[in-house]
Amino acid sequence: MSSAPFKATVNEYLEDLPPQVQSRLYTSPATCLAIYRLLPKLAKFFIMSMVFNENDVSLRDLDRWVQSNGKFQLNEAIKSMKSLHLLIEGRSEQPFMINLNSIFRSSFRNALTGGEVNNSFGNVVENEHEVVLPEMLDQYAANKWESILHFMVGTPLTQTPSRNVLSLLQHSKLMEENNTGELQITNEGFQFLLQDANAQIWTLLLQYLRLAETLQMDPVDVLNFIFMLGALELGKAYSDSHLSDTQKIMLQDMRDYGLVFQKASNTSKFYPTRLAAMLTSDSMSIRSASSAMNTVLSQGTSSNSKADDTTAASDGREQDGTQVGIAARNIPDGAVVLETNFKIYSYSNSPLQIAILSLFVHLKARFSNMVTGQITRESIRRALLNGITADQIIAYMETHAHPQMRRLAEQTLDKKLELDPNCKEGLQILPPTVVDQVKLWQLELDRIINYDGYLFTDFDNSQEYSLLCDYSNDIGVLLWKDDKKRRFFVSQEGNAQVIDYAKRKLKKK
Amino acid sequence: MPRARKGALIQCDPSIRALILQMDTDRNNIILEELDDTHLLVDPAKVEFIKAELNRLMSQNIYDAMDEEEEP
Repeated sequence: MSSAPFKATVNEYLEDLPPQVQSRLYTSPATCLAIYRLLPKLAKFFIMSMVFNENDVSLRDLDRWVQSNGKFQLNEAIKSMKSLHLLIEGRSEQPFMINLNSIFRSSFRNALTGGEVNNSFGNVVENEHEVVLPEMLDQYAANKWESILHFMVGTPLTQTPSRNVLSLLQHSKLMEENNTGELQITNEGFQFLLQDANAQIWTLLLQYLRLAETLQMDPVDVLNFIFMLGALELGKAYSDSHLSDTQKIMLQDMRDYGLVFQKASNTSKFYPTRLAAMLTSDSMSIRSASSAMNTVLSQGTSSNSKADDTTAASDGREQDGTQVGIAARNIPDGAVVLETNFKIYSYSNSPLQIAILSLFVHLKARFSNMVTGQITRESIRRALLNGITADQIIAYMETHAHPQMRRLAEQTLDKKLELDPNCKEGLQILPPTVVDQVKLWQLELDRIINYDGYLFTDFDNSQEYSLLCDYSNDIGVLLWKDDKKRRFFVSQEGNAQVIDYAKRKLKKK
Repeated sequence: MPRARKGALIQCDPSIRALILQMDTDRNNIILEELDDTHLLVDPAKVEFIKAELNRLMSQNIYDAMDEEEEP
């Protein structure tokens, strides 16, 4: 398995666009601002220094700004700006003279100083009577987004996301159809669930972009819209009158992801949610959708019952939602304690966290602020058969380990180092017994490997044997051979070829 | 004249091979040919049965914390 789909960030996607498409992108001030926000810090600094300077700049000057220990960052910054074609050769065409992309410069200036922005930052509609509260938007976004994640982990009774979302999930290989035609989470889907919300949204949006290209949607339109969403203000209404047709279609899709909200009565206006505002900011104030949900839960008692109804596991604990939210505030959501006897406790009241745990844990009881469970051979096997690897399970538990477990592990390591200063052991946050056992269970699955095919036997002499054996080895279908007893095994697919070859060669004699 | 025989090649370590041999003596006609210490030729239709049976045999030797408590 590979984690490749998640490594592809939006920056990489932008860098891969042809320069003509990039130039068209840069005509939108909002997009320029968003791209600027996505750049490394040093690149931001360089752009700022050049944006109001028409003249060429020498690369050496940039170099002089940077201390000798910052060369790596300098190279990174230059590389990222060059691959986005923000930095171009200077007009004087002398070596090492550079300048800012002129389209980007003028748009970016407009974005900063508020010149002609061509509606790229959206059209605010002021209406006193139709105010939508940020809390309501947060809840809407969390609900939409969580329902997608819930659907992925297969929580029973959740409402199914719209057809578009489903096809996107399938297209991005986060889910796939199993034999019975139902959608099932894939290996990549599990990795996807372990990302923070921002990375998850971008993963989906990048897939959306790829899908859009096959649907003949203009990537410039799509990107402009995504970046515009990132620049809009929470709680304000925006009109869709200036949007292109492509963007109006997108608006529907973004509504399904919870990025924008529209009133059913009036679809000509839309309200961006916090998920949209998060797109181009690097502040990670919202750690994950589920923690955002928890804030919502702890804010209003009325809202918590709704969220909890989505899990079948909820057992009449709706009333204590507020209490729990306060008690669990200083511990990160979903903190996991794992004991050497394979018992696991997770301090979480988020249905989603619990659903993720239930992918590989046999859950036993649910309390107001925690769930208890047991890791068993059966529960791990079920996860392994679903394509989740032992390493992923271990990594998940490690990143979600309770601070107490981390502290305990640090103490143990300190003691070990006191006894034996040459001790090379790393920090073991999870009990090694459990980690090893989970890995052993994975190995156990592969105790036998089977291949269908044909066994060739009864060769009259070693020439015949080696002739056929060598041939099947050459075409790469040989799976096993025994020179002494003159027999070998070829795969099902290669068999016909070997028999053809045998008929031709052996008849000649 | 050489002969080609349809079958499923199973690759495993010797301990698993011993378990499969045991299965064969109990139920017969699973193994078509014993190839070497780590390979067996078996009936392709029986591969799933072998896997399920191995799973059952292995789980007998594993400590399952669930057994101790709360037997329903």
